[in-house]
Parts: sequence; C-alpha cells; structure tokens
Amino acid sequence: MMTNDRNMRRDFADREELITYIREQFPDTVRVDDYVSTTVGGRKAAEKQLRAIQPGRYAKSRNFMNGAVTRLSAYIRYGVLGLAEVRDTALRRARNKNETQKFINELGWRDYWQRLYAQIGDGIWQDREPYKTGYSARSYAADLPEDIREGSTGLKCVDSFSQELHETGYLHNHARMWMASYIVHWRRVRWQAGARWFLEHLLDGDPASNNLSWQWVASTFSHKPYFFNRDNLERYTDGVYCRDCPLVGHCDFEGSYDELAQKLFPHKTD
Amino acid sequence: MPEARSTIVWVHGDCLNPYGPALQLHPDAPAIWVWDDALLDQWQISLKRIVFIYECLLELPVVIRRGDVATEVVAFAEEHGAQIVATTESPSPRFRAICKDIRRSFKVQTLPVDPLINYDGHIDLKRFSRYWRVAERYAFDPTKPEAAQERFDFGGNK
Repeated sequence: MMTNDRNMRRDFADREELITYIREQFPDTVRVDDYVSTTVGGRKAAEKQLRAIQPGRYAKSRNFMNGAVTRLSAYIRYGVLGLAEVRDTALRRARNKNETQKFINELGWRDYWQRLYAQIGDGIWQDREPYKTGYSARSYAADLPEDIREGSTGLKCVDSFSQELHETGYLHNHARMWMASYIVHWRRVRWQAGARWFLEHLLDGDPASNNLSWQWVASTFSHKPYFFNRDNLERYTDGVYCRDCPLVGHCDFEGSYDELAQKLFPHKTD
Repeated sequence: MPEARSTIVWVHGDCLNPYGPALQLHPDAPAIWVWDDALLDQWQISLKRIVFIYECLLELPVVIRRGDVATEVVAFAEEHGAQIVATTESPSPRFRAICKDIRRSFKVQTLPVDPLINYDGHIDLKRFSRYWRVAERYAFDPTKPEAAQERFDFGGNK
C-alpha cells in the first residue's frame, strides 16, 4: 500500500495502541465520553459471532435480558455481515424451518427499515404521523433531561440501562423499548432527543432502524403508544433491577396497564 | 491496461465487508475509506463507535483518510489516474449526496449487496405487516448456499 502523509495509521501492535491513536486523532469524541466497548469490530469477530447463533433458542428467549440474542446487530449495521448470508446461516443451523421463523422475521425488520430509509431519506427525523397519546408534538420537550443521560433518575433499571449504553454501546432490544417508552411517555420528551442520544452511543446505531423504532414506541409510526409496567420489566429482567431499587413498590412503573394508561394518556380517546 | 488503473473502490460505512460487492468485483483496485469529519462532529459519535469502525477497517485493504468525503475520494481517484469510482449501494441520503459530488469528476459504479428479499415488484411499506405479507414469501429462500458453505465450516448442520 502506498505511503502518504494524509493516510491514517493501519499498523498497531494491539488494541490499546489503536485506541490511544484514535483518542489522539479524534479528541472531540473523547469529550462525549471515554468508554470503549468489549465488542470488537471486523469480519473475523463477526464470523465468530455468526457461528454461535441459535435460531431456535433465540425465538424462545429473545425478549429476556439473558436470552439467546445473537449480538450480530453492529456487524449487520455496518454491512460486515449481509442480511442474506445471515439468513442462509440461520437456515443451515436450524433443525427445521420453523425454528428460523422469528429470527428471519427480525432480519425482515432490518430490511423494512432500510427500504423505508431509501424511500423517505431524512424524513426519518420527522414524525411520520401525529402522536396517538392525546398530546400534540408541542407538548413534548425538545431536549433529553440530564438525569437520564447521567443515569441519576433514582430508578435502578433506567439508570443501569443509561450506564450500560454509555459503557458498552449496546442495549438489549427490550431495554431499548423500555428506555424509549420512559423517555417519551413518562418524561414527555420528543422521541428525536432520545434517538439522537442512542445514535451517539450504540455500536449498531443506524439512523433508520433507530429512529423508526423510536417512532414506533412514540406512536408516530404505529397505531398506539408502547408502554410497560413493572411486572413486565421485572419478568423479562429476572428482577435484577427491582431487587436493588430503592423505589421498589412505589416506582413510576407500578400498576396495571389500564391504570398506567389513565395516568400517562389522560386525554387519549380511542 | 489492468483494471486497477481505471477503477478505485470507495468503501463506506454501510459495507465494511471484505466480501462486499465492490471489493469483490475489483480485488486489485486501490480502495479508500474517508472519516467524514463533518458527520462525526454533527452527531457527536462516541469513541467506542469509532474504535469499532476502525477495527473493521483494519481487516479491509483500504487506505484510511479523513476530511470531506467526496473531495478525498476524488483526490484519491486522481492520484491513481482512475476513471471510475466503484462503491456499494446504500439507502442513506448522505451517500447519495456524496455520489452526486463525485460524479462531477468521475463515473460512479454502484453495486448492490445480496438482498434478503429477492423480489423486484412493488411492496407497500405503510406498515411492517403489509411489507411482511409480501416479503415473507421470499425471505426464507436461501441465496448462494454453496458459496456461504465454503466460507464457513460450521460442522454438524451440513
């Protein structure tokens, strides 16, 4: 490869040396935060991860925080792995087609978001439809509250997810949904503020998948807002957050779905 | 003239794959990645995301530069006396804008990746359910299973 003063370095003894170099070259980025993920980039790491997928177990356990999720998202986002080859691998690894249904359906979501992106471009930043929460877009704050970014809300789950996002660049899909729902519906913040925060940190941060999923939660791209209660969170997290939460028993997420709907969307008419 | 002299490959963030279509079609062509300084600044992309991308780049045969993407790609093509810039398709509007800028100086060859859904007809994207009603018929058809099999050795499930 030709040498040129404008070329950035490619020769690093190890990961630490690479990270040091990046810190020097991109000083502004370190101001956001200084964490590096344990998830390693590159095709070799991607293939290793791909060899480990278990489509059958994924289908049964994917909604649980300790479920058999594949952790392929960052590799798929950057095209290190193509959707077609991931699908082909799933078909080969499953014992029968039935086992692959859910996994390939999820690949379909990625394909769907990408097709929509091609169609609407930067329109992914605009509300696709009005909120169906009883509130107009003007009722939502423009900026992400600092206590969410800093992980100091006092809610053990929310603060842990915030910290995990910053430190690892990854959140389980269910945690993303809870966070998005908390930010938009409990704190009444515009989805765009949360989406932008996620894109700063998620290794798999893709504008289309990210923004349109936030819109799905917000109800600007779905028929109704997505929200949850503590029972739901406790069940899918095996109670690890509620167990140590000082607010357990009287947190914002307590109550039945009907009670929470009344509280969150008092002006909503079906 | 060998192909490498007429074509360069521009690698972007939607295809950091050594088996991607542009690098596969032009295996001997000089290839470049450009850190989009304006984008990094605008989005405050965190250190961990940059490290991840950089690690992907180190497994690709690319020269790594930074600055304005179209300007750097054009300069790289000129350095190599190329006439064509080959790259991989992307739905991103920023990608389209950069291609438009490059086209002022060079021909751009945009190559598609293997699709999940091998269907060219109209699909209604109003809601996922409408999309899936059509897509589901094609989503489970394997593409190039033999080629994929060669690339990996999974054992067991052959």
